[in-house]
Amino acid sequence: STNRYIAVQIVPFTPTKALRFGDQTLSKCLLQNVEKYYGVYGLGLIEQGFRVKYCNERTKIAIIRCLHRGQRFVSSILPLITLIGDVRAKFRTLYVGATIIQCNKFIIKHQKQFLDKAMGQMTSAKERQDLFKNVMEIDR
Amino acid sequence: MEQTKSFYDFSIPFNKDDKVMRALLKELVELGYKTIAIEQSFDHSKKTAGKRGSEMFPEPHKIEHLRKEFQDKLRILQRITILYVDVNVSHAMSVSLNLRKFNLIAGQPKTDAALTHCCTTFNGDLVTFDPVAGSRLLVNRKAYTIAVRRGMFFEIKYGPAIADSNNRKDMIKVAQNFGTKGKSKNIIFSSGAEHQFQLRGPYDVANLAYIFGLSEDQGKNAIDRHCRQLFLKAESRRLGKTIMFVKGNGPIVFSDSSDDNQSEEEDDEMDATKTELDGDDEEDVKDESSQPNKRLKVA
Repeated sequence: STNRYIAVQIVPFTPTKALRFGDQTLSKCLLQNVEKYYGVYGLGLIEQGFRVKYCNERTKIAIIRCLHRGQRFVSSILPLITLIGDVRAKFRTLYVGATIIQCNKFIIKHQKQFLDKAMGQMTSAKERQDLFKNVMEIDR
Repeated sequence: MEQTKSFYDFSIPFNKDDKVMRALLKELVELGYKTIAIEQSFDHSKKTAGKRGSEMFPEPHKIEHLRKEFQDKLRILQRITILYVDVNVSHAMSVSLNLRKFNLIAGQPKTDAALTHCCTTFNGDLVTFDPVAGSRLLVNRKAYTIAVRRGMFFEIKYGPAIADSNNRKDMIKVAQNFGTKGKSKNIIFSSGAEHQFQLRGPYDVANLAYIFGLSEDQGKNAIDRHCRQLFLKAESRRLGKTIMFVKGNGPIVFSDSSDDNQSEEEDDEMDATKTELDGDDEEDVKDESSQPNKRLKVA
């Protein structure tokens, strides 16, 4: 019943605008890597309660849920992953929280910081509005 | 006491291409690193008997332009890694002038005898292992305890581990070996990243501690506290027995105000590092305003 929610950011090798990741791609990639490093033992440990809860392609942020006892397996291999789906990309762990509400709070704060940095460089008001709409859309 | 900021990455290989270096440094800033060291390696074992008694070690590369560009974002140190098999390297090191220009000196032994020498009497700060062929050398318990007592640190590079699968296995073997032989004390992580894609944030690197056989607490120390201890030890070795090191940073203003807040947290650090530093009395005080009552903080 105790879960851990890991908020990660996906950083592609070549910066492209929007990448087509789904929950399924991420989930498959993570489970494959856990099997690669910890074998079937690792898979057995984390599979219960493992789910990719949220995945936003534009901001490239995702939330991974796992049980408390499986968290260290997942977070220990996140730095070693270099291929997600068929795209070269790496994971950057942003936050590990015990409830999804805490995770969401952190992500909103993170998006705001990103917006502040990006908006300062944009000139037209319309561009700013568009960016704001794109980034702050957390619909799930 | 010299101020340093977290987080630390003490192994960024020098690349002649400025563009690559800039991309690396930019990524480091974005990930939250504040103190880094650019690494040059030097192979002492390949030196022929031609040059005797003259300067063997290279000069530090010119990175002033990079330093200026990242002036308030990154503190860039310079480090040399000496690959060697022969114990005579200590003699060459003691007569070298160029060596003093580096902030950090690392030793990369190639044989067991060199490894024992490195742990016991090497005049440097850090022990590294060759990413390509390092797994043959595993420390033995005695050398390890001596190195820990001397304040030598052992480095694990995670960059090559990310890129190559065989190397990953070797690194895990070496790191787990530290755990069995001596409870994984005095370990630091560094990137060794040739390309910015091999860099990972500090939180991620601390997570790797679990694979390397370190506890979570040791993992966090490996990227923060131990790196600072290493830096202080390196500075004390470089400067020799000093009481106070005053660096002018602008017009000298005489005032009565003493920065008490700063010294309180530094005293805690001092207590923590007291047992690790050698008997050198070392004090780094960067002062713009010299204080009328000179407080001598002895390590």
